[in-house]
Amino acid sequence: MAKKKKKPKLKYFDYTLLFVTIFIIGFGLIMIYSTSSYTAQLEEGDAAFYFRKQFIFTLIGFVAMYMCYKIDYHIWYKFAWPIFIFSIVLIFALIPFGSSANGATRWIRIGPVGIQPADVCKTAVIIMFATLISNNSVKLKKFKVAFVIFSLAIVQGVLIKVISDNLSSAIIVMAIGFLMIFVAVPNYSLFVALGSAGIVGVCGLYAWCSKIIKSGNLTSNFRLNRVLIWVDPESFSSGKGYQTVQALYAIGSGGLFGKGLGKSLQKLGYIPESQNDMIFSIICEELGLFGALCLLLVFAIMLRRIVHIAHNAPDLFGMMLAIGVFAHVAIQLVLNVAVVTNLIPNTGVSLPFISYGGSSAVILMAEMGIVFNISSKIKLEQ
Amino acid sequence: MSRDGVVYNRHRKKIKVFLICVFVALFATCVRLVYVMIIQSDYYLERALDLHQRERKIKALRGYIYDRNGVVLASNKTVCTVSVIHSQIKDKEAVINMLVKELQITESTAKKRVEKVSAIEKVKSNVDKEIGDKIRSYNLDGVKVDEDYKRYYPFGTLASKVLGFTGADNQGIIGLEAKYDSYLSGDSGQILTLTDAWGQELDKSGEDRDEPIAGDSLYTSIDYNIQSYATQLAERTQLAKGAKAVSIIVMNPQNGEILAMVNTPEYDLNDPYGNELDMNILNAKWRNFCINDTYEPGSVFKMVTATAALETGVCSLNDHFSCGGSTMVGDRRIRCHKTTGHGSQSFTETVMNSCNPAFIEWGSRVGTENMYLYMGKLGLLKKTGIDVAGEASTIIHKKENVGPVELATMSFGQSFQITPIQMLRAAAAIVNGGNLVTPHFAVKAVSADNSVTDFTYEIGENAISKQTSDTMRDILRQVVEEGGGNKAYIEGFSIGGKTATSQKLPRGSGKYISSFIGFSPVDNPQVIAMCLIDEPQGVYYGGTIAAPVIKELYQNILPYLYSSNE
Repeated sequence: MAKKKKKPKLKYFDYTLLFVTIFIIGFGLIMIYSTSSYTAQLEEGDAAFYFRKQFIFTLIGFVAMYMCYKIDYHIWYKFAWPIFIFSIVLIFALIPFGSSANGATRWIRIGPVGIQPADVCKTAVIIMFATLISNNSVKLKKFKVAFVIFSLAIVQGVLIKVISDNLSSAIIVMAIGFLMIFVAVPNYSLFVALGSAGIVGVCGLYAWCSKIIKSGNLTSNFRLNRVLIWVDPESFSSGKGYQTVQALYAIGSGGLFGKGLGKSLQKLGYIPESQNDMIFSIICEELGLFGALCLLLVFAIMLRRIVHIAHNAPDLFGMMLAIGVFAHVAIQLVLNVAVVTNLIPNTGVSLPFISYGGSSAVILMAEMGIVFNISSKIKLEQ
Repeated sequence: MSRDGVVYNRHRKKIKVFLICVFVALFATCVRLVYVMIIQSDYYLERALDLHQRERKIKALRGYIYDRNGVVLASNKTVCTVSVIHSQIKDKEAVINMLVKELQITESTAKKRVEKVSAIEKVKSNVDKEIGDKIRSYNLDGVKVDEDYKRYYPFGTLASKVLGFTGADNQGIIGLEAKYDSYLSGDSGQILTLTDAWGQELDKSGEDRDEPIAGDSLYTSIDYNIQSYATQLAERTQLAKGAKAVSIIVMNPQNGEILAMVNTPEYDLNDPYGNELDMNILNAKWRNFCINDTYEPGSVFKMVTATAALETGVCSLNDHFSCGGSTMVGDRRIRCHKTTGHGSQSFTETVMNSCNPAFIEWGSRVGTENMYLYMGKLGLLKKTGIDVAGEASTIIHKKENVGPVELATMSFGQSFQITPIQMLRAAAAIVNGGNLVTPHFAVKAVSADNSVTDFTYEIGENAISKQTSDTMRDILRQVVEEGGGNKAYIEGFSIGGKTATSQKLPRGSGKYISSFIGFSPVDNPQVIAMCLIDEPQGVYYGGTIAAPVIKELYQNILPYLYSSNE
């Protein structure tokens, strides 16, 4: 009994992270209602159509989060391979069972519920890599071993790209794996080299695109066009650049304090499906620079707390799990804001916890549950 | 135990590096946000407003046109514009069927309008209010009926060639409507509303509204009674004489106010186009002969020659001329209309007889220089400045090219062309004591808030001496009482005037314009009227067919004018 009494006192729980998570999710629900109610009323005859669906998924997400919090995270160590194989099976299941939207097959529909295998893949990669890295942390000094592990993420990424034509998810999956390996591998040189090569490459691409646009020699190549739009969206505003330009109008018209919650005009059909990937632009329009920066600050707190938990995790597996979740949230957050503000070419990345999307919300909240469980295993020293 | 699975400090260090990298990236996006939302904010705000704001014009009420006694000659009536809003249409078939039935358009046109993906598509404008109300009563989603004003002319054809009409946007096209468009049209207002991406106006957004300012009312010198009587008279004459056209102008010779201007056939101002599509035919239909066309004035012009002769002193009332039926000018023989000759006549009698050989003599005495001088003084060499657009210019020989033959023919009104209104003005100056007036319709414009703009017109004084004018009035009285204009004589009224029978070019075509100018009372003329009959069938002498028209006109309007003057 005495033992039991002592234990709860030492048990750590990150209330800051819980509060921040709930805040972001709640804020996301409000913004989904704000962005979607007008078009939902027009198209579905029900202003709360999207809000209600997302609310149900959020409830499911809370259940998932609580369960993951209660389950010892070491269980995922045992299930790493089955989950990983399951995620790949899900991708293949898209071929017979997938339903298409906007030309790409990304969803498996089970009754009213749509699941994106790409979302499941993200969690699968996190668990798989955490397992493999904690098993092979010493051997990881060898480039070969690191590459073999990373190749699993490549396999998934290629499958996602080829089968569901979802480049952004493929990039995110590979980036999560890559960053987890970055943390695990002892040296920096390779990453510094890759990083500088990347920056040089992006600058070169920008310069090259500017040249093409100036020459006026526009191609019909879809991917190349997407990059060209990035450099000069307003030249393409009637076509593929429409979404980017509309998002910029929304952001720019927000000003310092925004038009006020619910008062966006760009959500009135100007930005199609504004509750999805472009939701951040409406946040900017309604709440202004101040609101947008506040939201980013809250996200920064969330990321900082996850890193804190990873930092103090009891073992490498726990640390890598937490870092995986950190990478997942951070990559999507940075990419989404960068896309919406046209810092990088337009590619469909949702804003974590906020954009409309059922499976994404449930998966992210489950991952947060895992992080809460890791946090509860932190041994407090007095 | 394996060293695998153990956390080392290098891991912790890398986590920190990772976190810093993410924060740097986040900071970069924040910088970008500040740039877009603060520095580029104005630019995007403007572009966005451009996208969201729709401007809708509110038409201003067009000013009325009144006659001199306040009778409305041009007003407005409510009409409807029917449009469809694609995104709101629920029952496409019902809408198409309704449009076909109510608007009498073809099914394919209706279908095209209904199926066009646009914010709002105009189906038909200028729809009668009753039909608009009926369409509204269908209560179909996506059908919009907007009320609007259309010009309406209560008397249809009355003074059509003077008033003119307006176009689809209520803008003046010709006539007074065009000339005084800036007064009549007013300033249109506008409503600025915010719309969604489908062009739907947002109810809750406060609209910016500039109220329209109604146009000024135009008061004209036209007298509805005289105008409508003159119209009847002209129409009757046209029918009786089988003429191509008949024009009647009634003017106050003292100030140039035009009381009536008729050009038959008139057209329906409420439907100026009819079914005609050919612009040339339409322009001919809308032409105001009195102003837009020139003709050879013929014998009426002898007033000018006589005036010049008296004014320059080359002739006096004591001069005599003996007409033998023709006279030689150079190597050309010019005949008098009375081939047996008028015999010996006094100066006055040459006017009464309208004797060509006599006027050739008077003309040659005046000389080319003075003939042009007096034509200029009487306003025949330049436009009158009447307030209707499209006035035609004088067609005349260059002075240095005028030889004896040209001078001779000019003396009795041939070999040059002027407009009827120019001739009437010259006649007015000859009889009113020598003042060259500006013929006009518009008297004043009165705005909605009752501020009045009076229109003033130039009067050139002393074009000829008062004495010559007195003499001419007396001569012209005798023309009507005992001479060629005797068919215009009315017992109890003093009337002066001059007849004319102009050949239409080419000569010998057998086409004539018969005309008569008459004024009353002789001592102090208050009204001067002109009648022109274009291509009459049968008898074509002005004294025979045009003078009786003016007589009939005066019989009816002189008592009316005198009673309203008293």
